[in-house]
Amino acid sequence: MIINNIKRTAICFSFLAVVGCTDNFEEINNNPYGISQQLLEQDFNNIKGLFGPMFNNILVLTPEWKYQVQQGLQADIWSGYMATPTPFRGGTNNTTYDLVDGWNGFAWGAAYGDVMSNAYSIEQQAKGKYDQFYALSLILKVEGMHRVTDTYGPIVYSKFGTLDPVIGYDSQEEVYDLMFKELDFAVAELTKRVDANEVSTFATTDITSYKGDYKQWVKFANSLRLRLAMRIVKKNPGLAKTEAEKAIAQKFGVLTTNADVFKVVSPTFNNPIATISNAWGDIRMSADMESIMGGYADPRLAVFFSTSSQFTGQFKGVRTGIEIAAKADHVDFSAVGPIVNSKNIVLMTTAEVYLLRAEGVLRGWNMGGGTAQSFYEAGITSSFEQHAVSGAATYIADNVKTAKAYVDPNFPVNNAAALNIVTVAWNAIATNEVKLQKIITQKWIAGFPEGQEAWSDYRRTGYPKLLPVLKNTSGGVISSQLGVRRVNFVQSEKDGNPGGVATGVTKLGGADNGGTRIWWDTTASNF
Amino acid sequence: MKQIIPIFMILFTVQVSLAQMKTIKGSVTDAIGSPIPGVNINVNGENTSTSTDFDGNFSLQVAKSKTLTFSYLGLETKLVVVGESSIINVQMKEEASNSLNEVVVTSLGIKKTRKSLTYSAQELKGEELVRVKDANIINTIAGKIAGVAVTKSAGGAGGSTKVVIRGNSSVSNNQPLYVIDGIPLFNGSSGQPNDSFGSKDGGNRDGGDVVSLINPDDYEGMTVLKGAAASVLYGSQGANGVILLSSKKVKEGSSSLKVSSVTTFESAAFLPKFQNEYIAVPGGEETWGAKQSSNDHVKDFFNTGNTQITSLAFSTASAGSSTAVSYANTSGSGIIPENSIKKNNFGIRQTGTFFKEKLNVSANANYTTQTIINKPVSGLYFNPLTGVYLMPRGNDFNDLKNNFEVFDPSRNLMAQNWVTNRDILQNPYWAINRNKSVDSNTFFNGSLALDYKINNWLSVASRYSFNRIDSKYDKKVYATTQGTLSHTNGRYININSVSTQRYGDLIATINTQINEDFSFNAIVGTSINNTIGNDATTLDSGIGGGLKIANWFTLGNFVNNVGNIQTLGSSREVQSVFAATTFGYKDMLFLDLAARNDWSSTLVNTDKSGFFYPSVGVTALISEMTTLPDFINYGKVRATYAQVGSDVFAFATSPTNSYDADGFHKPLVGPRPGASLKPELKSEFEIGTEWKMFNNKLGFEISYYNSETKNQYLVVPAPPTNPYGYLNYGFNAGSIANKGIEIVLSGKVIEGDKFSWNTAVNYSKNTNIVKEIPSELGGKVILTQAGVNNYRYILQEGQPFGVIEGVNIKKDAQGRVLLNADGTIQKTGFEIVGNSNPDFMLGFSNTFKLGAFTANVLIDGRFGGDVMSLTEAINDEFGVSKSTGDARNAGGVAINAVYPDGSAYVGKYPAESYYKQTGGRAGATGEYVYNSTNVTVREVSVGYAFDVKKLSFLQSASVSLIARNLGFLYKVAPFDPNIALSTGEGLQGLDVYGMPSTRSIGLNLNITF
Repeated sequence: MIINNIKRTAICFSFLAVVGCTDNFEEINNNPYGISQQLLEQDFNNIKGLFGPMFNNILVLTPEWKYQVQQGLQADIWSGYMATPTPFRGGTNNTTYDLVDGWNGFAWGAAYGDVMSNAYSIEQQAKGKYDQFYALSLILKVEGMHRVTDTYGPIVYSKFGTLDPVIGYDSQEEVYDLMFKELDFAVAELTKRVDANEVSTFATTDITSYKGDYKQWVKFANSLRLRLAMRIVKKNPGLAKTEAEKAIAQKFGVLTTNADVFKVVSPTFNNPIATISNAWGDIRMSADMESIMGGYADPRLAVFFSTSSQFTGQFKGVRTGIEIAAKADHVDFSAVGPIVNSKNIVLMTTAEVYLLRAEGVLRGWNMGGGTAQSFYEAGITSSFEQHAVSGAATYIADNVKTAKAYVDPNFPVNNAAALNIVTVAWNAIATNEVKLQKIITQKWIAGFPEGQEAWSDYRRTGYPKLLPVLKNTSGGVISSQLGVRRVNFVQSEKDGNPGGVATGVTKLGGADNGGTRIWWDTTASNF
Repeated sequence: MKQIIPIFMILFTVQVSLAQMKTIKGSVTDAIGSPIPGVNINVNGENTSTSTDFDGNFSLQVAKSKTLTFSYLGLETKLVVVGESSIINVQMKEEASNSLNEVVVTSLGIKKTRKSLTYSAQELKGEELVRVKDANIINTIAGKIAGVAVTKSAGGAGGSTKVVIRGNSSVSNNQPLYVIDGIPLFNGSSGQPNDSFGSKDGGNRDGGDVVSLINPDDYEGMTVLKGAAASVLYGSQGANGVILLSSKKVKEGSSSLKVSSVTTFESAAFLPKFQNEYIAVPGGEETWGAKQSSNDHVKDFFNTGNTQITSLAFSTASAGSSTAVSYANTSGSGIIPENSIKKNNFGIRQTGTFFKEKLNVSANANYTTQTIINKPVSGLYFNPLTGVYLMPRGNDFNDLKNNFEVFDPSRNLMAQNWVTNRDILQNPYWAINRNKSVDSNTFFNGSLALDYKINNWLSVASRYSFNRIDSKYDKKVYATTQGTLSHTNGRYININSVSTQRYGDLIATINTQINEDFSFNAIVGTSINNTIGNDATTLDSGIGGGLKIANWFTLGNFVNNVGNIQTLGSSREVQSVFAATTFGYKDMLFLDLAARNDWSSTLVNTDKSGFFYPSVGVTALISEMTTLPDFINYGKVRATYAQVGSDVFAFATSPTNSYDADGFHKPLVGPRPGASLKPELKSEFEIGTEWKMFNNKLGFEISYYNSETKNQYLVVPAPPTNPYGYLNYGFNAGSIANKGIEIVLSGKVIEGDKFSWNTAVNYSKNTNIVKEIPSELGGKVILTQAGVNNYRYILQEGQPFGVIEGVNIKKDAQGRVLLNADGTIQKTGFEIVGNSNPDFMLGFSNTFKLGAFTANVLIDGRFGGDVMSLTEAINDEFGVSKSTGDARNAGGVAINAVYPDGSAYVGKYPAESYYKQTGGRAGATGEYVYNSTNVTVREVSVGYAFDVKKLSFLQSASVSLIARNLGFLYKVAPFDPNIALSTGEGLQGLDVYGMPSTRSIGLNLNITF
């Protein structure tokens, strides 16, 4: 080796003046620890390898701080799930409706850098050739990106991949239309392969609970369609009904058993909330959780949260949007519990799907033979099963308990009366509005700790009613009563794609701030 | 390439015709009788010349009564008329030093007379490098060279140093090239931070550089070539200026043993100011509780450091060979407890002559080992200083020191004992004892040089050198270290990184006197330089993965393989051909022409892998050309224009994917679609003039330069919406212009037998401006991202290189603070709050001699520029700073503020609320920007030389009292602004818990046997 180098050098010297010796430059400029496209194409790793970062970044699993600013200090807070005892930025931040650009760009960055771009690469390499991968990538893309449009409103979607200097934004309506179409393709493609008894080529790549089973993926795609359909019900009830019924009618149906729960099972990473809550002490049970689940004496409480280290045996939540003098004021309230001490990251529960069907029946949709009550109760039962908690029947039958008043023993100024005065038990003669409140409240509980969906439901329906912030530092932009409606467009786009952002602002149709409602979020009544 | 071949052909076919005449033989010796090889002997009026061989002998055919001119650089020229004798022996005297014969080492180690230089070059004698020794040789040049800004890193002893010559001109690299005896030195670093928060992977650490590992005692001097013209022969690497070091040469017939010993004591100077009147609420993390006095524990935390440098140098030379062996030992302890450094330098240099003295061979080898324990880090993670400064007051620091760990019966291990569970502040004694790091670097530099004299006007030299740096970083993080930084069972990080450089060249040198009036020198050469930077293997048990068994630090105990990776920082080969010529006319007018073509491996897959650049320069010695008043001894004017190219980052044009436990990763940087990368190109125009007058008692030199570096290689975050998933795009755009003036003034104020006073002033002013940043980037490139802190370091169209962005308190036109309706303070978005570049720099050095005593004083000043202190901001937020104590005593912060409805704020603003909103790393950081103007007493020494006549076994002996950074004569910022958190291009003008700068005082003893 050394001799060769010396020889080569010597020969180079002799001839450099005449011919140069640059033919090995290609090799020198190649990072030996990188992986070439040629190597990647073996075993289709060029395509399969792209799924890993998508799985790991729909919710960012590592590093934990990135999850914290992707969702932990946004939707997880604004959904009323959790609250932080930490007075970040001197106590004025997302929790007091002073939206922090330095945090809020990460949700966008992770979605585009790890989900959208990989979906795009898969499309480039697999579409028309290996359509099973393309179909699967579309489902993951919709799962990842609907969260983004639900956060920001208009987003880059159809124009992704363009080399134009201005990458234009689509309106949220356009994004939803495209997502439905993409699900159409994915469902048709995978169903075709299941029908042909094709062996899955996705098994070793798929780190979700589905382990590459195409049929399961179709069920998830149908359920996702149902979720999206319900989302737009106030804006386009016709399309919502069509899409929802299409989802139920598809021959593999939607999620119905606990085995159907869609979750990423990371071989490596723990749920990031565990570190944020346990090691950092940066996230705690919310006051709303204490009020609602505590009021119901919900048996799932012990799974979701730990008891307070200050008030032994009690579940104590922290109210969001309060004056915090020191982290120590509330850090010893309830941490997030055993639910996050695992490598399972649940992205859609079977309970949610049942509860969507319950709401669908309320709206007069054909949800596949069942009453609103039967779906409602199936949803609750399913959630209990998912968490291996007993006592569902008793819980369902409870027509006494409602949410309780919130008490902050350390700082009574934060105390609040209960807002949600509905019981668990179904009441067939109640108004649709009350029924909806029950359905969404149960969906809210069942969906914990994934705050994105709960925040969207809250914005769509107003349920469950959340305690208003006491400290609002939004400078009048965001109402304390209505809460955060969206996140403003991100700095990296303003820097790197300002023309695109301008199209987004136009399509948003309002000021680019957290008080402006996105397309499906209207002030119209629920029914 | 094509243009080079004809030059070769012409040079080799020059015919020297000789007439039939008598043969003269003889030898040339110096004042003490040693033969001098290489003396030029010209026959006046003829085209005949020769030179002496290695025994100082010559033979020459010449007609009788012709005059022979014996000339040699540094010796007095001698004229001898040929008589009857056929033997002529000549003894040459050392020339009295004057401006006309001063010799300067220039590019590629070539010596030139100073008068013939067409560009600015400033020299430092060896004694300047060792008089007030520093563990890092480069720190000793601060303030001594006009136009050179030297900034130490916050890494303490053994840390690297940022050197910028004539202003920042490149986004990618502004460090100069270091050259030892003509051969470039690889000066990589195994790591520099570029994140204002701090790394979870061991803290923001300075991996050290290579030049800090060399032994200052090995060198007889340094020349700084500042401009592009001076460095064109080094190509890309020399684009930011060149610092040349010359090894000590041994005089034939001499032998000596030099011993020097330096002991210095360092103490923390300029600590932040703290309050000690208020304590934290019980259990609180911040100090906003009751009024109650507390001890000022911060001072007590810091130790008095000491550094001991002992060096031995043995040298001997006889006819035809010389040997020099050196050894130096550095050991020291820092001002932060448990921080220590050990360094060993070994050096050997051997020269010899062969083949009838036609071949000169020299071999050089240096080996350095350095181990630093707990090298100080900056930033908020793994930094003991955050714990020291921010500890909630009211806790017993001494108890936390003595019991930094306590037994945890639930785990049956010793656990950290601390008052909070916050990632940015741990128990400082835990951090230094149980998060211990060991940095070790070993450096080998071996070189071989052959020089063959073909005839009296042509010689061919070839050199080869090999550099290898092994950098090791080992950090053992014990269980119960804060959860953000470590797994519950602890964490082990072990990084092994190797960098190598292989350099070879082949250079032909032509030296002829065309006729009496015209001289011609030229070099034609080719070189190859292959570098591999930071081929690293990282083992990291990580935070999520962790260790299976607590506190057992070995790979086998890792839970998973996620953190174990191999990476390569860079790999590059540059092949070059170059030529440089100097035409001289009557020793008073000189014309320099040089050209170089580089081919770089980093430019594969681009339109052109080679790039060409020329330089031209002219010098006129006015004092020789015209008659000037008598008091002027020397005057010259010079002008030069040069271009230098710089290649792009390794791998940028061949992006590859990577794969790790997180799955598949796209390349970090990819070329921006639609553009081919090309080299940076710096063009510089320089004019200057040099004068000496009043018997050389007063000298000055003024240079003006104007440079522009185009095609900057920008790496900017790609919009997340880019189709490739690239995190960054690399492309060429933008340009950075620098112009400036340098004045060097030297004077012999008093010159007497008993007492003398010499003084020198170095002044430099540089203005730089960023241009042509593409509008789609908003005219802005971010060099250091904000992350979650309100500090950004950016390039902005129309601004100087590297402006600091932060967040300000929003004010109205009348300067009133704008409040929200709820009384909170409104803040702006990111905006420019400062500029990290100094307006001008001034160095003022004085040497006094009184009998056997010599005293030196160097004052170093930087004027203008700004620096941001997140340290102060966070100290305020946490209520530990003096200003928060004062504000509380005053009943709040006096504030002229107004509500949205126009009504004025009444009373004082509560201190806690004020500082929590405006302080902190993410507060109104614009409030924490300080003018970095400062004037320092950089070096002081008072020495005494013993009279060794009575001690015949000694050749010389001296002792001196030395001090470095003795104190500030003027300073605005609440810390030393001459310290940088990174020697890279980002993270400038910022302090985030960097180690306080030190003042050192000590003794220097030198004996030569």
